[in-house]
Amino acid sequence: MIRKYSVLVSLAVLAVVMLVPFAIVTLNAVRSPADYSANGPLSLPDGLHLDGIVEFWNRVDFGGKLWNSLLISGSVAVLAVVLSVLNAYALGIGRVRGRTWILVVFLVANTLPQEALVYPLYYLSKEAGLYDTRLGVIIIFTVIQSAFGTYLLASVLGRFPHEILEAAALDGAGKWRALWRVVVPISRPTLSVLLIFFFIWTWNEFFLPLVFLISNENQTVPVALGVLQGDKMMDATMSSASALLGILPAVVFFLIFQRTLTRGVTVGAIK
Amino acid sequence: MFTMRTGAAALAATVMLAALAACGGDGQEGAEPAASGPRTLKLWHYESADGAMGKAWAEAIKQFEATHPGVKVQFEEKAFEQIRQSAGMILNSDEAPDVMEYNKGNATAGLLSKQGLLTDLSAEAAKRGWDKLLSPSLQTTAKYDDRGVMGSGKWFGIPNYAEYVMVYYNKDLFEKHKVEVPTTFEQFTAAMDTFAKAGVTPLAVGGAEYPAQQIFYQLALSKAQRPWVNGFQLYKGKVDFHGPEFTYAAETTADWVKKGYIAKDSAGIKAEDMGLSFIGGKYPMVVTGSWWYGRFATDIKDFEWGSFLWPGNTLHAGSSGNIWVVPENAKNKDLAYDFIDITMKKEIQNLLGNSGGIPVAADPAAITDPKSKELIENFTKLSTADGLAFYPDWPAPGYYDVLVAGVQNLINGAKKPAEVLDELAAPYEENLADIGG
Repeated sequence: MIRKYSVLVSLAVLAVVMLVPFAIVTLNAVRSPADYSANGPLSLPDGLHLDGIVEFWNRVDFGGKLWNSLLISGSVAVLAVVLSVLNAYALGIGRVRGRTWILVVFLVANTLPQEALVYPLYYLSKEAGLYDTRLGVIIIFTVIQSAFGTYLLASVLGRFPHEILEAAALDGAGKWRALWRVVVPISRPTLSVLLIFFFIWTWNEFFLPLVFLISNENQTVPVALGVLQGDKMMDATMSSASALLGILPAVVFFLIFQRTLTRGVTVGAIK
Repeated sequence: MFTMRTGAAALAATVMLAALAACGGDGQEGAEPAASGPRTLKLWHYESADGAMGKAWAEAIKQFEATHPGVKVQFEEKAFEQIRQSAGMILNSDEAPDVMEYNKGNATAGLLSKQGLLTDLSAEAAKRGWDKLLSPSLQTTAKYDDRGVMGSGKWFGIPNYAEYVMVYYNKDLFEKHKVEVPTTFEQFTAAMDTFAKAGVTPLAVGGAEYPAQQIFYQLALSKAQRPWVNGFQLYKGKVDFHGPEFTYAAETTADWVKKGYIAKDSAGIKAEDMGLSFIGGKYPMVVTGSWWYGRFATDIKDFEWGSFLWPGNTLHAGSSGNIWVVPENAKNKDLAYDFIDITMKKEIQNLLGNSGGIPVAADPAAITDPKSKELIENFTKLSTADGLAFYPDWPAPGYYDVLVAGVQNLINGAKKPAEVLDELAAPYEENLADIGG
């Protein structure tokens, strides 16, 4: 009984610690700049002041940025999952010779810092005419995310029950058919978790979109938030307003797909 | 084994190539239209729309469009961070703008000029008289030599505004403690003494960021002449870190902490919090730059305030503001020159001054706001005496952090002044060796 309560209490403390930054951001997002200067960031705001949010929305054309982020993250999530499945099918079930080494290569590619990739990617995309296009960023992140996806899925599919595949082969299914009709439906929970992770990771990417999406009309949400960070000055209330706008989509997305996430995790656990 | 691996790689490559081919056309569509169509001036800057520069430049765009029928200005507000991170890459591509705001200094504009990414503006500067409008110390950050070191060589940028470090003071607190605005260094220390004896810490200082090192630099400048600044900033001559200038600065900073002019705990204070504490009326004085001016003007409501130059100095930390540059890959350089010319016109410069900025070529009589007048008159004093001495972190890459740590040690009393000076000297000498100075 005591143990149960101590777990409860520590979870509650953890939840509060997690929520405090959000609360501070929200407080300052609805605070007027004068109030911020007078009373500092921690006091309760003296009234609801939504100008910061509205002004930021108009200043950076936030609707457009949302659409860009949605387009890029959505495409990357879908394409990277497809690419990962194809790679993992060959590596995990196809039992390609030397697959361990291929996976090691993928793993190493994963650990490369993005700063090291910037210059090669810059020259490639410039040569291909993809610099400053959303498509360029989609391709780059599809490859980056599927490197991790391949690594993960290959080890999951490596333990895929062979009886099922043999049964499918007896029924006359070719390799292609077995992939789409047998392997993909059975591993769907894992794939949807992967899809959601790819979406959120791509959504939060800052550095590469910052470098590759030059025109304002191509930019994503995290890059738009950077507009407020000046050389020497910062606008605390408007930064908070923008941060609030920036995290809301991710929270909404999480709430919508939360059940898929938990299901994916538990299905994996039972297996 | 090897063939299989290449097989997998080939598969990945094929997918990528197919995707590339499908979208190649997409990229070209985004490129510039043919020269026959209506022309556009692609303009980037990263000032906020309601700041002094933002307001003045918006007006400049209007005037440009009025005087250039058939030319559209395609303005984009950029993130400072984006330009800082990727200016080199952008300017090396087809996406380069025709004219853009960029940071002055060796590590930024100097580096790009060395790489051949910026257009030489010398001929235009002479033709349009920009070189006459800008005083010598403002020109320092506009010109870069073959090594990308500022101060001499060709013109690569044109500054529209300036900035300098001054003392902002709280008039109400000065009155309450019967302190006059100091005009000499002795009066300045005497004033701080009065406050300290009354239990009020006279200076709001942010030791975790740039403010503390600017006080340190101001102290060094009080013992310095122009050749010393040229030696330190432009590598013209040797700088002795244990010479009278820096020794005085380090010892005085430590002394001021001892006397209570600077709070001991200010080593951990950020610039933002320093500003907020002054706005909150907690400190009688703060030593910082003109970039705080607009913020103070809008946010200070409960007391009267003003500004004065650091007493006793002829040299002050300060410089030109950021500069307009024309990328080498710009497609409409003639339009870019026209635009820069408009931003240097009296009208635009006066607007900049009346909005709380420091114009470089304004008509002082046209500045109506009394506080702005004070700000600009002080700058004119400083600029006509050729008193801009730049910032202490400019000479070497990464020197900012070295200075922050060094001055923090002085404030904490963690290290002796002489030890701190050794710490400051090492990275400076290293950089000097690198550039072959």
